[in-house]
Amino acid sequence: MENLKIEIQNKRKSFEDALAKVKDRHSLQDIRNEYLSRQRGIITGIFEQLKHVKPEERPEIGNLINDFKNHVQERVLALQEKFAAPKKVLEKVDLTLPGEKKYWGAPHPIPLFQQEIENIFLRMGFSIADGPEIETDYYNFGALNFPPHHPARDDWDTLYITDDVLLRTHTSPVQIRVMEKKKPPIRIINPGKVYRKEAPDPTHLPMFFQVEGLVVDLGITFAHLKGTLEYFLKALFHEKIKIRFRPSFFPFTEPSAEVDIECTVCGGKSEDCRVCGGGGWIEILGSGMVDPQVLKNVNIDPEKYSGFAFGLGVDRTAMFAYQIPDMRYFYENDLRFIRQFSLK
Amino acid sequence: MKISLDWLQEYIDIDLPVSRLVEVFDNIGLLIEDWKEEDGDVILDVETYANRPDTLGHLGIARELATALGLTLKEQRFPLAETSKNISDLIDVQIWDEDLCPRYCGMVVENIAIGPSPEWLMKRIEAMGLNPINNVVDVTNYVLFATAQPIHAFDLDKIAGRKIIVRRAKQGEKMQSLEAKDVDLTSEMLVIADEEKPVALAGVIGGENTAVSDSTQSVFIESAHFDPVSVRKTSKATGIQTDAAYRFERGADVSFPPEAARMAASLFSQFSGKVCRGIVDVYPKSRKIKTVMLRDHRVTSLLGIEIDSGFIEKTLADLGFQLENKQPGIWQVKIPHFRIDIEREADLIEEIARFYGYEKIPIQLPPLRSLEPILDPKKEKIKTLRQLLFHYGFDEVVNFSFMDPEKQEKFTHDLNPIPIRNPISTKAAFLRTTLIGGLLENVAWNTNRGAEGVDIFEIGNIFQFDNDSYNEHLMLSMVMTGSTGERHWKEKGREAGFFHLKGTCEALLAQLRYGSFFFKEENHPHFQDGRSLALHFKGEEIGWLGAIDQKILGAYLLKHEVWAAEINLSFLFEKQTQAFQYSAVAKYPSVSRDVSFIGAKNVSFEEIRVVLEKLQLPYLEKFTLYDRFAGSSIPQGEVSLSFRFIFRRPDRTLQADEVDVFQQKIIDTLRASFNFRLREGGKIDK
Repeated sequence: MENLKIEIQNKRKSFEDALAKVKDRHSLQDIRNEYLSRQRGIITGIFEQLKHVKPEERPEIGNLINDFKNHVQERVLALQEKFAAPKKVLEKVDLTLPGEKKYWGAPHPIPLFQQEIENIFLRMGFSIADGPEIETDYYNFGALNFPPHHPARDDWDTLYITDDVLLRTHTSPVQIRVMEKKKPPIRIINPGKVYRKEAPDPTHLPMFFQVEGLVVDLGITFAHLKGTLEYFLKALFHEKIKIRFRPSFFPFTEPSAEVDIECTVCGGKSEDCRVCGGGGWIEILGSGMVDPQVLKNVNIDPEKYSGFAFGLGVDRTAMFAYQIPDMRYFYENDLRFIRQFSLK
Repeated sequence: MKISLDWLQEYIDIDLPVSRLVEVFDNIGLLIEDWKEEDGDVILDVETYANRPDTLGHLGIARELATALGLTLKEQRFPLAETSKNISDLIDVQIWDEDLCPRYCGMVVENIAIGPSPEWLMKRIEAMGLNPINNVVDVTNYVLFATAQPIHAFDLDKIAGRKIIVRRAKQGEKMQSLEAKDVDLTSEMLVIADEEKPVALAGVIGGENTAVSDSTQSVFIESAHFDPVSVRKTSKATGIQTDAAYRFERGADVSFPPEAARMAASLFSQFSGKVCRGIVDVYPKSRKIKTVMLRDHRVTSLLGIEIDSGFIEKTLADLGFQLENKQPGIWQVKIPHFRIDIEREADLIEEIARFYGYEKIPIQLPPLRSLEPILDPKKEKIKTLRQLLFHYGFDEVVNFSFMDPEKQEKFTHDLNPIPIRNPISTKAAFLRTTLIGGLLENVAWNTNRGAEGVDIFEIGNIFQFDNDSYNEHLMLSMVMTGSTGERHWKEKGREAGFFHLKGTCEALLAQLRYGSFFFKEENHPHFQDGRSLALHFKGEEIGWLGAIDQKILGAYLLKHEVWAAEINLSFLFEKQTQAFQYSAVAKYPSVSRDVSFIGAKNVSFEEIRVVLEKLQLPYLEKFTLYDRFAGSSIPQGEVSLSFRFIFRRPDRTLQADEVDVFQQKIIDTLRASFNFRLREGGKIDK
């Protein structure tokens, strides 16, 4: 044991001597390896000898060795800092130069806005159903309770392919197709392109997008129609928007209601507001309780089930939401217009 | 419909500021689109509906307003100055087609002093936006705008044989209308005729030959009821739209003609007219009053609120309905003839709701019973597709579905375009058979406005007539031209090109998990010869890409090269997608070898790929072409191709000498197949 103590002392001394001669990083590294190398280092060697020491004396010697090891480590570390390579001075880079451009394409505002509308209804548990753009007179008019040759058809100016085949004037035919196949409860929206015989002007287009919706179930009331559409309009615009339900006429609903929202451009205060024309209200949705005849046409018993339907023009609503003055802008596809919506 | 507030006062006493009145109208569904003060009167522009012809006159509007305000309609009196003559001695009326003319009434007034209308009447006529003509014509218009019942005045002396025959026109018959237009008549059209000729187009317009003139002394007043569909068809066929036809085609009040005739006769009495005794009233099949059952509980279950039965009874009575209380909570409701729109219980419930006030109906969310959603995988895929395309830098456009037939012709194609019978313009007379046309228009629009590059896509339907049916296919089209992105100090702009577009198609299909597609060199009329590929998937051609043909570019006045791709999503989405599968990350390192060859330019990459695939080297993980060039250092007609081959064994690390063997095999094969030589360090081995 005494031998070992002496050896530790000697090694400690020789370490100090060696350290005194160190001049650079490399010779310091050599000393570090000589003493601290895990396999062949001097300290490891001393630890090896510990097993020959009597067990009761081991703690004392062990402490001595550890002390020595800590001492070596500290000293080496201190010198390492001293001999560390001087910091390189980096060449000046102009970090104010613009970053690399990341390009991402822009969505067209109409599909974008349509998706916003869809998402609100999806949250309320609606499904999305879709159907053909070329329709028959029956699905577009007949099944929806438009008598043949009735002037009500004039409000849906139609592009015809033959007497019986036409471009759908609304997405309501999809509702008929769904009700033919599926029994209530039904909760769907039908987004899509619709067509009218209208020459393009700032507020009319021969093709535009609609989202229509339908709920049919037991005990559905006009109060539910109001609740659903209020929720929708508040989600789409803002929580405090003023909403008005006003009697109207559609062949496929009875009672029917037009839904107006307050003009957010002038707040109803400007006599010659370009958006609301001074009335303070903007028509945004058509709606109503599904006409009993429509339910009969698809073999749903109107005495048992009731429902409501609604529809809105996506373009018209987007025009109002983004305050775009002319509907034709949507179909010019000017990239200076469209690219703005990459930020939306 | 223009409504004069002053005129309404003939029916009810209104004492409300206009702003309040507008609100009342709006609330019962008669939207006031506009109003203006004029000449001491207020003219309201009321939006009316196709199912409510009763609101096309002041009387009907007054009835609505009276109900809303709790007022009573004033009684109307029509005193007559009569002669001793009997009408039956003066005119004979026969209806030959009872379906098209269910009722025909007439009165005769003699000795009228034709001249300008008195001031009050002129004011009424002017309020409707018309010019006063003379007292007779003005009275007919007055009755129409007052009651919504159109009437007509004939010069009695011009009616040949003093006979009125209501009949279908004979094919080829002609009549000169009051607008001095020659109208060609068909047997579909109902006319009023005398013994010799048609004197009026029933319900549409009178004839010049029997028109009232300054010399007229006696007038025959026609007040009739015509079939709405017949009037509409005649009006459409002749292109003559009149206030009368507008009302008849919506459905007039079959019970009203006698009163309208009397009203007119009474007014003529004011212009020294003498009314002959009696009235002609040919009404072969008297119409029954409709009855509709109304149940209290249905009112509640449809509207979501209980409404007091006293309110229900009063409202409906004020509107002219007669109610009979059969049992508690159930009424039999008699529908007056002027309410042609009321046929079912729901129609009555709407009347109750209108006057109760939509704003008083509560706001409730419906009980959302959980139900199986209708799944639409197509919709999800389109969503992904759009996101990917935005990511690749393409902007989205939406074009009209129409196409100019002249431009359509340039897209010679096996698809039959569908013509629109009544297009909005000759340039939009077809439904599109490709999306590329619209996209090229967008390219032209944007490059003309200074865009240096255009990368756009559209997703939408194309249309074709095929197998006796009208078909729609959902397509994706992408078009690119010019440079992508703007100039930047660190990056070079990229010129649009074929391989950019091809890469986009490859990435889209791979990311949608339709990996097993392949391209085939094929010519297509939309593209320049030798510059197009067909896209095949599981044995079906689902798309094309290439450089747009010069003559098509010319049709859109485009001067620069444009690349386009079109993929039929309807076909693609029907196919099975590959399921996603995880595979373990390789444990052992790979060995890569770069090898450069020189060989004939006309050997295609596809040929090389097939040959290498056939080799079936077990540990060749993949290979890529990383450089390709021709130039002064390469012999004419040849090209340098540099490949990187990556080898890996799943179970252990490959040794260099093993890889050497594989590499040699590749070199030997390409030499044997294509006479390729190795190129090393710019030198060519022999």
